[in-house]
Amino acid sequence: MAAVGSAAVGAGATKMTVANRKKERSVSATLAAATCALLGTTVAAPVDAQEEPTWDFNTSLLYYGEDENRVQDISLKSIIRRLFDDDRTLSLGITIDSLTGATPSGAIRQDGPQSFTRPSGNSAYTEAGGKLPLDDTFLDTRLAITAGWQQPAGEKGLFSVGMSTSKEYDYLHIGVNASYGHDFNNRNTTLSAGFAFANDSIEPVGGAPTPFSGMLDVGDTSNRIGDQDKDVLDVILGVSQVINKNLLVQANYSFSQSDGYLNNPYKVLSLVDGVTGDTLPRIPGPNGGPSGQYLFESRPDERTQHSLYTQAKYFMNGKVLDASYRFLTDDWEIDSHTLDLRYRLPIGDTRYIEPHVRYYTQSEAEFYRLSLDSSAALPQFASSDYRLGNFDAITAGLKYGWKTRNDNDMSIRLEWYQQSGTVPTVQLIGNQGSRDNYPDLNAVIMQFSYRFSR
Amino acid sequence: MKMRIATISLLLVCAGCSSMGVQPWEREILAREDMQLTADPLEAATDDHIYFSKEASSGGRGFGGGGCGCN
Amino acid sequence: MRLVLSAPLLAAMLLLAAPLSVAADSDFSRDKYEGKVVVLDFWASWCGPCRRSFPWLNEMHHKYQQDGLVVIGVNLDANEDDAAEFLKDYPADFRIIFDRDAALATEYGVEAMPSSYVIGRDGELKASHRGFKVRQQDEYEAILTEALGEQP
Repeated sequence: MAAVGSAAVGAGATKMTVANRKKERSVSATLAAATCALLGTTVAAPVDAQEEPTWDFNTSLLYYGEDENRVQDISLKSIIRRLFDDDRTLSLGITIDSLTGATPSGAIRQDGPQSFTRPSGNSAYTEAGGKLPLDDTFLDTRLAITAGWQQPAGEKGLFSVGMSTSKEYDYLHIGVNASYGHDFNNRNTTLSAGFAFANDSIEPVGGAPTPFSGMLDVGDTSNRIGDQDKDVLDVILGVSQVINKNLLVQANYSFSQSDGYLNNPYKVLSLVDGVTGDTLPRIPGPNGGPSGQYLFESRPDERTQHSLYTQAKYFMNGKVLDASYRFLTDDWEIDSHTLDLRYRLPIGDTRYIEPHVRYYTQSEAEFYRLSLDSSAALPQFASSDYRLGNFDAITAGLKYGWKTRNDNDMSIRLEWYQQSGTVPTVQLIGNQGSRDNYPDLNAVIMQFSYRFSR
Repeated sequence: MKMRIATISLLLVCAGCSSMGVQPWEREILAREDMQLTADPLEAATDDHIYFSKEASSGGRGFGGGGCGCN
Repeated sequence: MRLVLSAPLLAAMLLLAAPLSVAADSDFSRDKYEGKVVVLDFWASWCGPCRRSFPWLNEMHHKYQQDGLVVIGVNLDANEDDAAEFLKDYPADFRIIFDRDAALATEYGVEAMPSSYVIGRDGELKASHRGFKVRQQDEYEAILTEALGEQP
């Protein structure tokens, strides 16, 4: 069981050693404290100072930007930890995101221009012919807060409990989580179990639309069904095993159950002609409105996911390889594989460079549709959200890290994230076959981090 | 079905775990910060959020183990 | 109260006492310390709780040395230089020996880092504790005073 950094020792003799205080330095093999993570809430602290630190601050500034005027996000994130005696830790996380830019509405490209009503119902927007319809209503600021407490339980146990909440203009999340881990086999094996439960409220601008209802003219909000919510339960079981002095492996099984409103209230599907594949036209109202027939998406009201995640950390003469693989499957018929590789190369004693490659592939949801065929019966569920489609994604990047003169940690990373997907051929109707239908994604990720203990 | 096979193999691996490992005093490398399962929690949380927003999969990672085995 | 009284005393002792040399050998045998209470503390430079235990070990050393307490820090670093670096920041006023091949650690069955073994005046193992918890310092000290109180 790894130990967590702790508060200053209170014994009288400490005053003596503190009297010959030198500048803080790190031991040649940098010390690690506990790493206890549950479902995204992670804590770890290096113990560097001569006097045990009582505070640990880890802050980063992130820029995420997609090309073609799509989503851009600037995010400030901070994890603040108060370290108490004997590996007990209180942590507080704060994240502020500022989102701008446009996101695909789910409607397909057409040769001619198209107009749509904004989600609020208050105005309309147009997309030029040949372009992928993007809804740019998304100017949003999000605030997320997490809090957690972690402490040893007996000699070989580690217990943690926490809560999380986040708020953006149309979304509120509240969640609780807890986990327990126990060491066996001379602390070479750790078995862990954890759960998280969340309730999310969705308050879409203008109110959630009735699934499969048509997009209406500006000012018409007769198809709204008000605010919605969903519950998510996550359970995770894990085992980690020290293989030898240089190799640590981990395997986790996760189960996730979502119930409630799982739709994206802003996404639509184009209703198309059964022969040409072109969107059925519509005369917009006097104040503006859709130029075609678009139906709001409809997803099932439950989703069950299982995943198996394995990871290895391998030390090779100063270099560290971090390799992980995750397989996920769910009852929406989505299967995904994620392979993630990081290779940390030290430069001298105080710096490192870390190339990173991630490969991701997913198969489309059973109800994923590029568009809805008006000559066929309406399916039970349908969504053209590209995030539920069939695509491959690659991330490639580089991270550079260094220790400052005060023995604090800084790092910067620059990565490219690219998604390219395909629509199942059987779904392509008429003219759709000649167009580029899948909204491929190209994004850049830049993050600067600073960490210090006090 | 796939899940069942995966979980059973995991349990079989666990059965062999009791003979593997290191002595408590051989954990110097495992104690290193860069040898922790989540070496950079801020980057991990950031990535989790980005990929959760852009893909249909999420989670999987978690927990501790390894480390210096102290206390 | 105890801390206030011992502080100037410790200061005086530190100024007057010659620095204890680090033994180059890992030789330890209970016969050498017959009649004394020995604390064998197994530590390594990469171990967090070891940093917290050193000030306390120093305190015990100064407090009970004249009563017959012998504190021995047994280092288990693979690389002696790492131990030396550690000792620069966390100086030990007690004796340090190196257990290079972990023979002593194996003999005592060390299960966690750090581990402490208290050997009484009669040469028998009196107590041991795995790990070092700052909040249990008083309990650890009570074990020492009990062992010191016994007749050889």
